[in-house]
Amino acid sequence: MSIIEVQSLRKDYSTAAALRGVDLVIEKGQWVSIIGPSGSGKTTLLNIIGGLDHPTDGKVFVKGTDINALSEDELSVFRRENIGFVFQQSHLIPYLDATENVMLAQYFHSLPDRKEAEEALKRVGLGHRLTHRPSQLSGGEQQRVCIARALINNPSILLADEPTGNLDRTNTRNVLELLRRLHQEEHFTVVMVTHDPYVTEWAERVIKMEDGRIITDESVSG
Amino acid sequence: MLLRIVRSSFVNQKKAMAVMIVAVAVGTAIASSLISLSLDITSKVSKELRAFGANIKVEPRLQGIAEVAGQRRYLRSEDLLKIKTIFWRHNILGFVPFLYTIEPSTGHTVIGTWYRKSIKVPGEREPFVTGASEVMPWWQIKGRWPESENEVLLGRELSSRLNLRRGDRVELFGRDFRVSGILSTGSKEDDAFVLPLEVLQKLSGLNGKISEVYVSALTTPMDDFAYKDPEKMSPREYEKWYCTGYVTSIAKQIEEVMRGSRARPIWPVAETEGKVLKRLGLLIYLLSAVSVISAALGVSTTMIMSLLRRTRQVALMKAIGADRLNTVLIFLTEALIVGFLGGLTGYLLSLLISKYIGVEVFGTPLRQRAILFPLSLGASVLIAVLGAYLPIRKALAIRPALILKGE
Repeated sequence: MSIIEVQSLRKDYSTAAALRGVDLVIEKGQWVSIIGPSGSGKTTLLNIIGGLDHPTDGKVFVKGTDINALSEDELSVFRRENIGFVFQQSHLIPYLDATENVMLAQYFHSLPDRKEAEEALKRVGLGHRLTHRPSQLSGGEQQRVCIARALINNPSILLADEPTGNLDRTNTRNVLELLRRLHQEEHFTVVMVTHDPYVTEWAERVIKMEDGRIITDESVSG
Repeated sequence: MLLRIVRSSFVNQKKAMAVMIVAVAVGTAIASSLISLSLDITSKVSKELRAFGANIKVEPRLQGIAEVAGQRRYLRSEDLLKIKTIFWRHNILGFVPFLYTIEPSTGHTVIGTWYRKSIKVPGEREPFVTGASEVMPWWQIKGRWPESENEVLLGRELSSRLNLRRGDRVELFGRDFRVSGILSTGSKEDDAFVLPLEVLQKLSGLNGKISEVYVSALTTPMDDFAYKDPEKMSPREYEKWYCTGYVTSIAKQIEEVMRGSRARPIWPVAETEGKVLKRLGLLIYLLSAVSVISAALGVSTTMIMSLLRRTRQVALMKAIGADRLNTVLIFLTEALIVGFLGGLTGYLLSLLISKYIGVEVFGTPLRQRAILFPLSLGASVLIAVLGAYLPIRKALAIRPALILKGE
């Protein structure tokens, strides 16, 4: 059963085209890696799927909804109900501690629940860092907070843009192991953009992009 | 969570927040002081303008026709005190009666009046001091006002024509008078003998009679409604007109208490006052608006700077689900807190400024009205919200995809 369907997607910027007619179907619960060199259009594709950017042409259906037809506010609701984001840089609010950063996503979704936020942090192995501010956490720990925040509202899709791009190999493996465990437990769909071949090894399906097009789309046996 | 975010904004941007609070406080203080001034300016400036003299003239009704018939009409001295009993009695700053007669043997004009008279008004603790010294402050006497029944004041022009000086003797109504001083008014008194009213009434056989009264009253500036004909007003309109301190309604009330009188505004004076007050009012409101806008611009600029520093945070909040309302709430709450704190500071500052303006410009502090507190807070919140408008629009326009791109 497909959860994401992309049809003839184009994205033109004033100087160049980022996407040149992308078609893609992602099944519910799949872990998909999108790999490609810088400027291949992978982040643009991820942003459009997540409703953070608008295509120049084409359609994106997420859980059957044509998200390009949604208003800004409807897109906000759509994002908080369905999507969890993890970025390359661990974008955390510097003056909020780890728990409060997770609670922020709860606040925009419904009601903040400190206990639930703390539980989420414990699940990502940060039970001992609940009241630490981002500046007091390592890069790997910050990314774990981002994962806890992304998953706190039980989204059906996790969109990750180079989530291990700033981490060393050990931390990369830790984060990916964590994601795999959560993915197996909670069965959400993962779409992860990366340029690191090691990261793609964790995926069930690898899509390779170049120059705004998908050039290969392969399932990886486990 | 909202308050946590906002509190953190304040804690992490102390300087920016302080600048915004100061901008709001200064704008509020200036606007509140000016509004305070505008509430008091009518009475303050009107009082100052009373230096131009009386603004109401009271004379006997049908004087012209009666004179044609050879019957000169008079007002009654006993009615004078009633002027201080009308609805707008506290607005009556002074009045001065005049009696005009002709000295039978010489044909010279002799005027009877009060120069400075202290009157006991029923119900008032302090005596009411009135007369030409209060109503016509430009009168100049070289010498002094007559202090006995044998003294007379001589108009400047008549003195030079008759070649009489202070201390000289002159005969009026068959009695001998000594010139106690030379009077200069720039008006008909310059060509007359001037005596205390009661002395002239006795000499001329016009006991208790007066020719006219000049009244100086604090008035509300004339507006379009004030120029309507009271005869054609509905009862409700008439009541509103009667109970407003227009020069016309005060004149009407004087007519009602002075028998056989006709009281009319001295229009050049009344209208000039109205125009001056109207323009001053306009100037004050313009200055208030300018101070509010300047402060709002200050808030806006500082808030935009603060927003630029927080672009990433706003983009992140949007990415994780903040909608327009969430974004607006964060900045609006900040603005309201800035407005509240700035308003409190501005109000306290406005108390000092309005006291200074009152004392320096008018000699007495402006009245502190209870309404100024909510007004100050209202102005400050308005400044802050106006100032937050552009930053909020900018925050709403932030596109997370551009800002959060991995670097």
